[in-house]
Amino acid sequence: MTTYSILIIAPLFFALAVLIGGLRVRNILTVVFVLVLAGASLINIFVETSTLQTSLSHSFHNLFILLDSLVLIYFLWQGIIKKHNFVTFFALLQMMLYAAVVFFSPSTTSSDILIDNISSIMYLVINIVGGTIIVYALGYIESEKFSRFKKNGFIALLFFFLSVMNFIVSTNNIEIFFLLFELTTLCSYILIAYRGDEISNENALKALWMNQIGGLAILIALIVSITQYDTVYFDMLISSINELYLLPIVFLAIAAFVKGASIPFDKWLLGAMVAPTPVSAILHSATMVKIAPYLMLKLAPAMSGFVSVTITLIGTFVFFSASLLALSKDYFKEILGLSTIALLALMMALAAIGTDEAITACLVLIVFHSISKALLFLQAGILEKSFNLKYVNDINGLINHSPLVVFFIVVGFASLTLPPFGAFVAKFMAIESIANEISNNPLYALALIFIALGSVFLTLLYFKVLTKLLAKDVSQEKEVHVHIPKLFTIPSFILLFLLIIGIYVIFEKEFLSSVQIFVPMILISVVPLLFATLLFKKAHRVKEYYCGEKEEVQLNMYYFDIPRNYKKVITAVAIVLIFILILGAML
Amino acid sequence: MIEIILIALAPIIGGLIYGLERVVRARMQNRKGPPILQPFYDMLKLIDKQAFIVNPYHSILGIMHFVTLWVVVAFVILGQNLLYVVFLHLLSALFLIIAGFSVKSIYSHIGANRELQAMIAYEPILIMTAVGFYMINGSFDISIIRESSPLLLSLPLVFLAFLMIIPIKLKKSPFDATEAHQEIVGGVEIEYSGIFFEFLYMSKWLEYVFIYLLLILFAGNSQILGAVLSVGVFLLVNLVDNSTARIKMKHLIKIVLGIGLTLSMINLIGLSYV
Amino acid sequence: MFDFKPIRKKSPWILHYNAGSCNGCDIEILACLSPKYDIERFGVINTGNPKQSDVFLVTGPVTFRSRERLIELYTQMPEPKVVMAVGSCTCTGGVFRDMYNVEDGLDRYIPVDVYVPGCASSPELIIDGLVKALEILESKTKEIEKPFKLFRNETNKDGVVNRRNSALKVGEEIDDEEN
Ligand code: SF4
Repeated sequence: MTTYSILIIAPLFFALAVLIGGLRVRNILTVVFVLVLAGASLINIFVETSTLQTSLSHSFHNLFILLDSLVLIYFLWQGIIKKHNFVTFFALLQMMLYAAVVFFSPSTTSSDILIDNISSIMYLVINIVGGTIIVYALGYIESEKFSRFKKNGFIALLFFFLSVMNFIVSTNNIEIFFLLFELTTLCSYILIAYRGDEISNENALKALWMNQIGGLAILIALIVSITQYDTVYFDMLISSINELYLLPIVFLAIAAFVKGASIPFDKWLLGAMVAPTPVSAILHSATMVKIAPYLMLKLAPAMSGFVSVTITLIGTFVFFSASLLALSKDYFKEILGLSTIALLALMMALAAIGTDEAITACLVLIVFHSISKALLFLQAGILEKSFNLKYVNDINGLINHSPLVVFFIVVGFASLTLPPFGAFVAKFMAIESIANEISNNPLYALALIFIALGSVFLTLLYFKVLTKLLAKDVSQEKEVHVHIPKLFTIPSFILLFLLIIGIYVIFEKEFLSSVQIFVPMILISVVPLLFATLLFKKAHRVKEYYCGEKEEVQLNMYYFDIPRNYKKVITAVAIVLIFILILGAML
Repeated sequence: MIEIILIALAPIIGGLIYGLERVVRARMQNRKGPPILQPFYDMLKLIDKQAFIVNPYHSILGIMHFVTLWVVVAFVILGQNLLYVVFLHLLSALFLIIAGFSVKSIYSHIGANRELQAMIAYEPILIMTAVGFYMINGSFDISIIRESSPLLLSLPLVFLAFLMIIPIKLKKSPFDATEAHQEIVGGVEIEYSGIFFEFLYMSKWLEYVFIYLLLILFAGNSQILGAVLSVGVFLLVNLVDNSTARIKMKHLIKIVLGIGLTLSMINLIGLSYV
Repeated sequence: MFDFKPIRKKSPWILHYNAGSCNGCDIEILACLSPKYDIERFGVINTGNPKQSDVFLVTGPVTFRSRERLIELYTQMPEPKVVMAVGSCTCTGGVFRDMYNVEDGLDRYIPVDVYVPGCASSPELIIDGLVKALEILESKTKEIEKPFKLFRNETNKDGVVNRRNSALKVGEEIDDEEN
């Protein structure tokens, strides 16, 4: 039995296993299962280095068609009982198109399963980061007031999600891809509606209908690809693609935009914030949204000329505007969410460039973005559970209460922007690969400006949040440390460890030379400590300078007022760009 | 060998530039001005002063800022990757900003916030400059850039954009709102004293070295042009400093980004057609 | 060890505090920094930040409202430091002496090293005073001198009272009975 089948099938059994059983049994089982998955994904990357292709039997295909019909019927049913017109409408439309696809499905076959390097890396991300989040969810879900079955169901659902994700990155058949795409939509729908209150339901439905647009785009792509190229397989589509007729690629790219919550489809991801924090964590880091850059990577070889430039422009534009919009936000998870949207758009833009360097940059960004984002979302969860904080402006001098959480947040932010962490290397390579392209097409100069501005806005965003965290009280009495449960901190430590390994990997792969990484790191860490030990004993402790005043001050975060119509303009521009993309590909 | 000596002496060279600048500025205002060695007197005096700490992180971060900046200057001298240098420089700026946020002081916070906003203004332009160099030489390596023929001719607009960010980095009018001496009492530096302020004071000198080293890159392999450029820009920056008033942060960002990015984009697009 | 003391007088950074002056002396101090008198040639920088300054230039007679701030600023200056009282009203109370809201001079709160008289004191005088202050700065130790405060009712018999003996630590409240 090959590792990929373990990765796909085992989580299904795990999901069943954790459904039953009490708290202790379930916790132990979950940790073991997560270890198994992580181990399998590691084995996969070390052992199976060559590309692997297999086909599934005919009965499997029939099973998938049945499943797909069930999912679509479920969507329709939800749309009718929740009285949501969009959901109903899209479900019906999808049913019709899907029937057409099944009916006209061509007889040419290729392998259904195709596992290459990209899939192996995605396995790592999905299973290790996702698994860590599941461990975290164990502690988180216990502090909620639900029945035991519902709590177990939550963990089971997360395992199911991992299984779907593992499958989606292994498949080569667009029909199966569509099914799995719909299954992730279904998972996110159930997870977002998990709390069962009114806002949750509303946002879940929003996520549902927006993701259905993605499904629709895939179906259209399928139909076009069947009529024009007579295939439903990624590899055949890509190898036989005609440069003048890229419509199927464009529609698949639009599906990626929907999953990646790019503007104008950003609402569903921000609405997903109402769900328990592990859901946001797993949606934002390891699963769901990562389908978007993955799909783009898969399509990258087929993109050329106009389509490639336009998708890069859309991606970088969204990168820039999402980071700009985030500047006016106050809700911690929303800030994180918008920065996810921004970085995903950047990943897609990089994938669309399609040069080797850009694709490496995209992969590095996928890996490190998921680790950093998971780390940050775990902290958001801790802030919610241990401190009852949701808004950045309510956090007052967190460092007095929990230096550890502050440390994690600072590292999380730093790892998304600064050297020597992985995401920085990706940004670095992104600029380099775009600089390479400018001489081919001047439009890339615009993309470069978007990247430069967007990355600096993101830095501003992250470090402005620190305003509220770091301010330390001078008087010692106020230091009240808050106890944080072990189940919350251990996953954070694991993620931190992954980040540090990441630095090593970057060094190994020679993205940067050892001089460039290690000399600054050693100097920056050792010299100040040396001085500190020498100088601090003699120094006097004093208060801050308040112009001689004695009043206590309250320090607040800076806001950057982004006018409302900016948002509208940005959405309009994004929509226009997408239409240009479709029209350009049609003509 | 000469590189190592240069790296070791970098802060001293910066101090001399700073001292010279104070004299030149005084002469421009028809004053006598302090001696050229004045910065070093200040430095020695600061060592002797009693040291105050507000909190340990704050002081350590200040030292980290200094060390990182020195590494940045060293990398420029050694001819490393320019883009990496730009980002490492960003890291050093962020150390200072985190330090500014780590104390509960109003001025420090305002200063750090302004520093962050100034970053919006200069960072994209530094990146554009680096990309401009890359497009001509096909490499980000400074050692290669130094060997090419003068780049000023092919990157005139990028050079103008770069000129605009020099006053921001050196805290000169009209773009000195980050420090704004009388207004926010020096911004992030405010809580440092004695030997800890020393590091910030010296990193200011390193900032001079960094900016002028980048400036000389525009001259490529021509040393005469490099000398002319650095002297000319030195006088120009001081002249502008003496004759303009401070402008608001908001306008700073708008002016620098609006003009600077447009100029450099036109230049890059122009390059792609050549 | 390297002797830092001679360096001290080469870079005096000043903190200028207005303890209720009429602005006459403030303008004169600013005149010192202007091209005509140019005290920057001595290395003077007007820092505006107590934590980085060496010379505390105070103008004004010390009004009630400014007392605490004055001491706060004084204590925030790292040693070695000198205090200059600029203007007659800062030295003795000057034209404001014995007013209901005024403390009659700076030396009731913090130790003063140089008194610069004159209402308003001329820039030349201030420069003279500064040069004198730098000499004193050179001979100072790094010990902290605590600011002190006199009892209000004893200020009338100025010169008779031993100020140090009747000093209170900063922050201690004056007992009502003693007054
Ligand atoms: S000494 Fe005279 S001029 Fe100076 S502040 Fe006092 S009253 Fe004003």
